[in-house]
Amino acid sequence: MVREIQFRLNGKDVSVICDPLKRLLDVLREDLGMVGTKEACGEGECGACSVLRDGAIVTTCMIPMGAVQGCEITTIEGLRETERGKCLIEAFADGGAVQCGFCIPGMVIAAESLLASNPHPTNEQIRHGISGNLCRCTGYDLIVDSIRLASERGNGLW
Amino acid sequence: MVETSYIPKDLEEALRLRKETGAKPIAGGTDLMVAHRRGTGVVPKFPWPVMIVSQLAVFKGIRLEDGEVSIGAGCTCHEIEVSELVPWPVRMAASLMGAQSLRNLATIGGNVCNASPKADLPVPLLMLDARLELASVSGIRQISLNDFLVGPKKTALRDDELLMRVIIPAVNPAFTYLWYRKIGTRRANAISKLSLCAAITIDTEGMVTDFRSASGAAGPRIARNRMVEEMLIGIPITDIEERLPAFLDAYDGILAPQAMPEYRRSSTRRMLEHFLRTAVTRPAHGIIE
Repeated sequence: MVREIQFRLNGKDVSVICDPLKRLLDVLREDLGMVGTKEACGEGECGACSVLRDGAIVTTCMIPMGAVQGCEITTIEGLRETERGKCLIEAFADGGAVQCGFCIPGMVIAAESLLASNPHPTNEQIRHGISGNLCRCTGYDLIVDSIRLASERGNGLW
Repeated sequence: MVETSYIPKDLEEALRLRKETGAKPIAGGTDLMVAHRRGTGVVPKFPWPVMIVSQLAVFKGIRLEDGEVSIGAGCTCHEIEVSELVPWPVRMAASLMGAQSLRNLATIGGNVCNASPKADLPVPLLMLDARLELASVSGIRQISLNDFLVGPKKTALRDDELLMRVIIPAVNPAFTYLWYRKIGTRRANAISKLSLCAAITIDTEGMVTDFRSASGAAGPRIARNRMVEEMLIGIPITDIEERLPAFLDAYDGILAPQAMPEYRRSSTRRMLEHFLRTAVTRPAHGIIE
């Protein structure tokens, strides 16, 4: 049974015809080509598939499309076009936060979610803010440093 | 072809679907979407019809009604942790449920109705004598959480009912000291290995007028026993120490952990000892750590 689901994706109206139980993650990657959103664990543990739904960070592997009707979804492809997104991405690059890169879209979404509610977090708060995101390369230190760098450089953006 | 999923537009339609198709509600999806996933690109398959209810405003909202806190079944852990209306132990339990991304999705209704013995929110809710409001096409009824939680993954929810809201009665006089501790592995997204919520009320004469304690992940059901609690009620707080061994043995008797029983029993004992012995010293701060 398929249904038409309408929502906003990165500021544009989109309409998808699919099973209401299909995961938002699969629709983003397969139907809409937003492959910046990654799948790793598929059970909400790793944060690689994080996006913003109405401004709040969520893991798309756990969201059925029926729950997306009328929502505003922001993926890394949308965030990177904003001033905040550019600031974060430059800080991640300059701070050496990226190794294999697989977790980074989710990390950047988590960083945006954190800074939106707390523009000047402490290191401890940054670690708490990205605690739902796993990275197997960096050991996290450079990611934490880069988020702090973005927080300093982006004074007033958040 | 039989429909396997529904998106009701209002409560009336949701209750009718529940009655006619037996569809079960899905809100946050943090348990159900994972339990029934089938891999990348494949639509999750449920063994029963489901209805998506996260869009229904009727399940939202945290309100104060006649001195009682009413939490809509569709309220997320994040909404609960930031609400100043909600009692501290419930906010604390909500704030420790996984990462922010999970707390933005997971709902109190799912956490209660899933009836996992390791669920986090039912532990303080049981301690606070919470009630549930259940609705069906035939009407509305209330049931205590204690009666609702029948066993592991088993509740008293009828096949035609939906959980509407969780009601937390006021505590008067307020508890003097409170305790909540969740023991898990990775802080983000850890399932509780063990949890304990406790509270004690001491009057101006130093008498214990109320004591409550509930344990999660320590048996097939969240554990609480009023008779055991009463062993510490009506005594001077200074007598706690001499009552402690008998009380701890009795409390141990209401636990029935299957895996790692020695660990769960001894950790519970140590937490209760610590909470009660600290309360005897009458610290200024009401939340004991």
